[in-house]
Amino acid sequence: MTNAIETVQLTKFFERKGEKHGRFSWLKRKARLKPISAVDNVNLSIPKNSLFGLLGPNGAGKTTTIKLLATLLLPDMGAAYVNGYNVVKEANEVRSSIGIVTGGERGLYWRLTGRENLLFFARLYGVRDDKAKPRITELLKLVELEDRADDNVEKYSRGMKQRLHLIRGLIHDPPILLLDEPTLGLDPNSAVVIREFIKDKLQREQGKTILLTTHYMEEADQLCDQIAVIDHGRVISSGTPSELKSGMQKFDVLRINATGVSEDLISNARRIEGVEEVKISVIDSVAGLTEILVHTWNAEETLPQLTETMVKSGARVRLIEQSKPSLEDVFINLTGRRLRD
Amino acid sequence: MNPELEWLTFKGVTLRHLKEFVSYRASILATIIWPLPLLALNVYQYLGLASTSQVGQILYSKYGIASFSGMIIVGTIVYLLYNRMLWGTGAWLVEERFNGTIESLLLTPSSRLTMLLASGFSSLVEGAWWIVGVFLLSWAIFGVQPAIGDWVAVVIALVSTMIALVAVGVFFASFFVLTRIADQLATSLQAPVRYASGVAFPVAALPAIFQLFGYMLPVTYGIAALRTTVIQHGTLVGLATDLIPLFVLTAILLIVGDLVLKRLELKAKKDGSLYKI
Repeated sequence: MTNAIETVQLTKFFERKGEKHGRFSWLKRKARLKPISAVDNVNLSIPKNSLFGLLGPNGAGKTTTIKLLATLLLPDMGAAYVNGYNVVKEANEVRSSIGIVTGGERGLYWRLTGRENLLFFARLYGVRDDKAKPRITELLKLVELEDRADDNVEKYSRGMKQRLHLIRGLIHDPPILLLDEPTLGLDPNSAVVIREFIKDKLQREQGKTILLTTHYMEEADQLCDQIAVIDHGRVISSGTPSELKSGMQKFDVLRINATGVSEDLISNARRIEGVEEVKISVIDSVAGLTEILVHTWNAEETLPQLTETMVKSGARVRLIEQSKPSLEDVFINLTGRRLRD
Repeated sequence: MNPELEWLTFKGVTLRHLKEFVSYRASILATIIWPLPLLALNVYQYLGLASTSQVGQILYSKYGIASFSGMIIVGTIVYLLYNRMLWGTGAWLVEERFNGTIESLLLTPSSRLTMLLASGFSSLVEGAWWIVGVFLLSWAIFGVQPAIGDWVAVVIALVSTMIALVAVGVFFASFFVLTRIADQLATSLQAPVRYASGVAFPVAALPAIFQLFGYMLPVTYGIAALRTTVIQHGTLVGLATDLIPLFVLTAILLIVGDLVLKRLELKAKKDGSLYKI
């Protein structure tokens, strides 16, 4: 097997239980509802040394896929191989082959220092202290945490914790990294540092295979060699970022920021000739500012009619711009909704 | 099984526990204060009714126990260590889940049983001062003199009891993790064991039905073995009746605990339940 990660019709259901109703409800068992299909027949082939993105909104099945690959969940159907090992039958070999990094602040011991956290996990991966200690120093330098290495983690900022998470996943030098929303909740500067580290150090310099989940379009666009768009547990499209966007090249995209946007305006905009899709999202609820995204066959013909419709409806236009399709547009086109919906 | 990995895991978990234990002075202070009132409570519940010599005579004539305060001191130490296991090792996995670190542990290739054994060992180390501290205190306040006939027998009884207590911790950990209320479960398991295992009085003083329950507890045999060796001049030969059931119960607890833990992990991987907190 030449791929670092391969899944064949990987499927995971989660049982659901309904509420108890009626008199003596405490005696009744909760009704079983139809299981939710969290991951549905997912086929992935991720070559070695590539940076592969799983892109989708919250609840799309990204984290469940990562957990299946990391042996934290068992698949209900299908199979998955990581570094050539079966995730069910060879779980320990899979665990030794992967480093996993999750977003957020949990997963570290706050009463230990950064260095002690890393040494603890190194031991649990079977790395001897004489090998682990120099590696820890090297990794701390890599993410610019060496000055704070001996402070307790409870004193770290969120960005520092996230950097520590990242190198914790690298402590046993695994060939494959599973990064689950690695920049979730970080400020823009910290996110940029993490992204550069992932692309430049981990993929380019160290040759790691990386599977990254994100719901940040720009992150996927900037980092990934290949992307699979996932929604409701299914892969609905895949390819390089440019391949995905090229399918959208036939459309022009108009972005309009306006206040006083009504339902009627959106309905009327959809009836304008050449308009394929109109989506709205609130930018500033206090100011009533809304972004309208229009996919049209011909922006030059659509724009005058659209402006006139808006003026008639009483909307006040703040900004109009024509842009190239982004991955966000690809996602809207594929699913009919925005990533952050 | 990779022996080097298991050793490193054992070392890692033990050192981490100890570092966390000493990182808060309040937890050390609480550990020092906690045995004192418990010891006093156990002793003065007798002395409120009769003098030391009167109590000693009754215990000797009815149950063959030579030292009244020695009996209580041994029982108190084992009970303190048992509590340490309940709250330390028993509640450990639930605490890891609550802190959001359980996934990080389960992602490593280390044996879960090794992690739990290390957690038990570090809990014993944290409570080890009690053995020395409570004896010193008993000598200073109650004038207790140990009556040791065979030091090897003392060491064997002590080590066997500690291993049994670790097994108790592993057993409870595997069951506590089924729920989110480890602290309440631990609390509910304190009093029955204190009552039935003869911490502050001989098990033989209990009604027959409770004696039966008491003889199903490893704590009972640990206390009996230590009493025999520390205050009754007991030798290895006399220990067999306590050590054999202690070993059997230790093996059962470890095997059942490990099996339950494995099944639980499998179930959690099927339905994702271990991470829902």
